[in-house]
Amino acid sequence: MSVLSVAGLKKSFGDIVALDGVDLAVDKGEFFALLGPSASGKTTTLRTICGIERPDQGQVMYEGQDVTHAEVRGRDIAMVFQTFALYPHLSIFDNLAYPLRQNGVSRDEVNRRVGETAEMLRLTHTLDRKPGTASGGEQQRIAIGRALVRRPGLLLLDEPLTNLDAKLRNDTRAEFKRLHRELGMTIVFATPDELEALSMGQRIGLLTDGKIVQTGTPDELYTKPKNAYVASMVGSPRVNLINATRRGADAAPSVETPFMSAEKGPWADALKAFPMGSDLYFGFRPNDIQPIGDGQTPGGPSFTARVHLTEPLGDIVILDLEAGGAELKMVLPEEQAVRYSVGDDVPVFVRVENTHVFARDTGTAIR
Amino acid sequence: MSVLMSLFSRKERRLREAGWGWTLFAGIISLIYFFPVLWIIMTAFKTRADALATPPVFFFTPTLDNFVAVFYRVAQTGSGEAIGTGMGGFFFNSIFVASAGVFLALIIGTLASYGFSRYPLKGNDTYLFVVLTTRMLPPIIVIIPIFLMFRMAGLSGSYIGVILLYAAFNLPFSIWMMKSFFDELSPDVEDSARMDGSSEFGVFFKMCIPQLKAGLAATAVFAVILTWNEFLFALLLTSTDTRTVPVAMARTIGGEIGVEWGLLAAIITLFLIPVFGVTYLLQNHLLRGVTFGTIKK
Repeated sequence: MSVLSVAGLKKSFGDIVALDGVDLAVDKGEFFALLGPSASGKTTTLRTICGIERPDQGQVMYEGQDVTHAEVRGRDIAMVFQTFALYPHLSIFDNLAYPLRQNGVSRDEVNRRVGETAEMLRLTHTLDRKPGTASGGEQQRIAIGRALVRRPGLLLLDEPLTNLDAKLRNDTRAEFKRLHRELGMTIVFATPDELEALSMGQRIGLLTDGKIVQTGTPDELYTKPKNAYVASMVGSPRVNLINATRRGADAAPSVETPFMSAEKGPWADALKAFPMGSDLYFGFRPNDIQPIGDGQTPGGPSFTARVHLTEPLGDIVILDLEAGGAELKMVLPEEQAVRYSVGDDVPVFVRVENTHVFARDTGTAIR
Repeated sequence: MSVLMSLFSRKERRLREAGWGWTLFAGIISLIYFFPVLWIIMTAFKTRADALATPPVFFFTPTLDNFVAVFYRVAQTGSGEAIGTGMGGFFFNSIFVASAGVFLALIIGTLASYGFSRYPLKGNDTYLFVVLTTRMLPPIIVIIPIFLMFRMAGLSGSYIGVILLYAAFNLPFSIWMMKSFFDELSPDVEDSARMDGSSEFGVFFKMCIPQLKAGLAATAVFAVILTWNEFLFALLLTSTDTRTVPVAMARTIGGEIGVEWGLLAAIITLFLIPVFGVTYLLQNHLLRGVTFGTIKK
């Protein structure tokens, strides 16, 4: 049973189309990630859900009721803004107490719940200060605390980690997961960072140009991308996409690139419907390409590639390869990667069972 | 490394405190600007002879005669009794008219600028420009129509007339200044307050206004100074009952015995006190108001 459902949401600001028919359904207690590049309509979607923005078209259903045109303050929804939007003239205590006081909660109850929230978010020592004196991480926790203190049915987070530095971002990611688990709250959070979406979201809605391209679990988006765009948005380093052509026999199609030919992938059946010579993309993740060990039989199409850059990332290394004029990325564990240096020719193979094929004109996945 | 360190410490020192050279420089500049004021204050305590002495005297025996003369003068009839000059009333008029005018302009201006900033109309900039044009004409050009209008409306010489005029006079300035302050505020904070259950009234009074204390103070000070010194409209539109200090001051010039510099200086000295007081009270806000937006938060 979805607690929030959004249908056909459209919104323009002057000539700029922000939302072009957004459809979403979020289940109760779900941690839902809205992933999209900047200016894809994430913020506008959240602002429409909480009522700050009125859609030109479409409907927002919340707990079975049409709230599309309901007042902002009547909705049981809280939002953490990207800018945190703390009340600069109020103490941190008063910031946290504000939503309660506005809703007529008694003084004792305010004290109790602010104290509780502050403790949970480790803000107790800051309560007398003004938000301007708090550190970035504290400011963010205040913003979250202010949203949590009145226990909303739905919590919206607009790029909650973007304004934090890298280390804090990692800590906070775990913090969010912990909060979600402890409070069992429905959370929708917007992020431009696929890593955040993959690591935090139970389901992800991929938003581009004001439309949801694909919704699914992180695993679904990663292993079964609907099109080449989704494949390239999800997963880091990015998926390798190589120009390819449909070849092979009618009943046993193959995908041919200038330097290799692949067959018997998960796409083999669907590809039969495509005429010979159709333009395709052949896609595979950087960790599905492997060097062929001595005496090993390759588990898929193989070719020789030249290393022209290595990016060591600690325990893993990204190798930039070049084969047949195409650039590829390969991810290897550090101990395996030390064997290769720039300029080496490396025999490699691709795990064909994990490969993707997309039609080049529409980008749609063939599967 | 040590070069880097010294660079750092030098920079830090420069941010915290100025060296003695700069302090001296700033002192001299301040003295140059403050000197005329200082001279007026000194003149207020001088006897007529000291005030007119050439070369000017810097050291003299101070007297309070001029201050007494501001409020009382000796009757010309020969009986020698002290008669009030009515200056106390004129001071009251100045304070009353200026505060009421500024207060009114601030209220209307703040509400209007909130609207201009948060709910822009089609052609918002045009309206703002129109508002500004009302201050583009020198007062001397509009004084005759205004005088005639006030006469016809029966506002001439009344408190309400001058107050309305000063409010109108300060309004464009208040709107423009306050709008720039509102533009600096993050609309997210207001949206957040709405989501936390604030009404539109709550958003304005509990969120915007407290954040704009500094801006309001700065606007108020500028408006007070502008209004306080205003002479032309006050000359033509006030009566004996509602006359303000600048007009009354002008009347002391041109007595039979020439300009009474000591008396004039005493009036000015007293006249400076309220402005000084307001500025002093609001100084912290004022500084923040003037630098509002220039430093990224």
